[in-house]
Amino acid sequence: MTKKAFSRFTLMMSIFIVLTFVAFYLHVTNGIFDMSVWDVCKTILRINPNEKYDLVIFQFRLPRIVIAGLVGIGLGIAGTVIQGVTKNGLADPGILGINAGAGASIVIFMYFFQLSSITSTQSSFSSILMMPIFGFVGGALAATLIYLFSWRNGVLDMQRLILSGIAISSGFGALSLYISLKMNAQDYEMAAVWISGSIYNANWTFVASMLPWIVILGAIIYKKSPLLDYFQLEESTAKSLGIKVEKEKSILLLSSIGLVSACVSVSGGIGFIGLMAPHIAKQLVGIQHKYVLPMSAVIGMFLLIISDYIAKTVFAPSELSVGIVVSIIGIPYFLYLLVKLKV
Amino acid sequence: MQELIVDRAAIGYSNALIIEELSLSIPKNKITTIIGPNGCGKSTLLKAIARILKMKSGAVYLDGNAIHRLDTKEVAKKMAILPQTANAPGGLKVYELVSYGRFPHQKRLGALKKEDYAAIDRAIEVTGLNEFKNRPIEALSGGQRQRVWIAMALAQETEILVLDEPTTYLDMAHQLDILLLLKRLNEEEGRTIIMVLHDLNHASRFSDYMIAMKGGELITEGTPADVMTCLNLQQVFNIDASIVKCPFSENPICLSYQLC
Repeated sequence: MTKKAFSRFTLMMSIFIVLTFVAFYLHVTNGIFDMSVWDVCKTILRINPNEKYDLVIFQFRLPRIVIAGLVGIGLGIAGTVIQGVTKNGLADPGILGINAGAGASIVIFMYFFQLSSITSTQSSFSSILMMPIFGFVGGALAATLIYLFSWRNGVLDMQRLILSGIAISSGFGALSLYISLKMNAQDYEMAAVWISGSIYNANWTFVASMLPWIVILGAIIYKKSPLLDYFQLEESTAKSLGIKVEKEKSILLLSSIGLVSACVSVSGGIGFIGLMAPHIAKQLVGIQHKYVLPMSAVIGMFLLIISDYIAKTVFAPSELSVGIVVSIIGIPYFLYLLVKLKV
Repeated sequence: MQELIVDRAAIGYSNALIIEELSLSIPKNKITTIIGPNGCGKSTLLKAIARILKMKSGAVYLDGNAIHRLDTKEVAKKMAILPQTANAPGGLKVYELVSYGRFPHQKRLGALKKEDYAAIDRAIEVTGLNEFKNRPIEALSGGQRQRVWIAMALAQETEILVLDEPTTYLDMAHQLDILLLLKRLNEEEGRTIIMVLHDLNHASRFSDYMIAMKGGELITEGTPADVMTCLNLQQVFNIDASIVKCPFSENPICLSYQLC
């Protein structure tokens, strides 16, 4: 029985990794500047390097795809953890206000540090590396507030968690908007694009700033993923099995707040990936979290790369924010889940 | 031989103290049943013994060690708990839930060893669930489901089993079925069983030791013959009971009753 689940998991993983390569292929070859596969391969393998191709591939397309992939992985993992810990299939980092908290904090950061001056100066490198940390502080603050409001009689009340998440989310959203209105035009434009969730201005510094978070926090969460199975039982059952429920839940939640914050700091508020990826993963590989978690990460990666490809090409030469494309796919899916789950 | 001792326990929820001060000891290798009217604090006491509910003061001693000072995983190797309302997530298979009972014995998360598989198989065997082990739990009947939860507790391989109303929602035959299973576990494997039951006759028939509570206080304790008297039942439940001898176990049972 366990073997069957494992072979199903391997099959589905392979399918989605292939799909991701297809999305990668579409993304890297298409755009304002169409290239053949051959050109792409030659450029990456450094055969007859051509300056024009180098610029398009290494400065624009590759970092953008890598960022999309990393953000997708982060949101897929965080969504799985948040749904698992809250036992609520409709929970998502965006709905829970962590996105908005991290977002507000990063808008404040942009406002005070005038990030429009990001070009290639020395100081901008460290300030980009600082952004995830700021995002983390904001995300953690929002999460703490939500935690405090939803704590009742020593237990986490899931109804209250969702409601206070919505309230705090709109609170921080308003704060972001207020601050972004006080910015100068150039900063404002950057903040507005960033809030709606976009990665078109990706560069390798962003990759460097989020990669360690994804790797370290992802590894911690993966190691603890079987615990999420136990959290689907009553809390008292988990406790009686000798699980330090509060401690383990806090570690898992904090790690996913870190992941979400790193993602938000780079890509802005991209919702719904964290909601959709775990559901699709559970449909495909069952309910064991040691399979659901990596599956959800790969699905998140695929969804975001393909969404970004759509965002880039559908109205070319002008671009949509990838966050908008994800929402256009995500909202019907969310409604479908609402009807199906009868929550 | 005393295994579990409750010492001056004060137990309650955030703003209501249910049990002000209660001391008792539960004998080893015996079946002990706590009885009492609704709201008397029996489930609360059981939760405190199971360390699911934190005590305001006092302590529970397991083999001489205060439970709240022991590592919770170590306690889980000695004591398994079956909660009153147990819900399993949709799609979970019988075998998977039973395997969860191995958590306290695992060094590395999610890595089952040979002895884990052996313990799971044994638990499934003892509870007669062999033909159901690959079925999802929601597809089982109430009685089978209760057996699955008992199997999970058995897979934990503990000396002590704590059960909160294990027969609720079951029909008469299935109630007896569960209690006979517990009796067998006690007699054949020497497990200590502590449970809450609402059915006095079942409590009397299957227990070695009974504890009667009312209003958060201990009223009386002892063998079924000591506890199941007209006077005690009047004091604990406010009923006027007619006590006869059970033809199967020789223990006193309540034939019928009226309110005093």
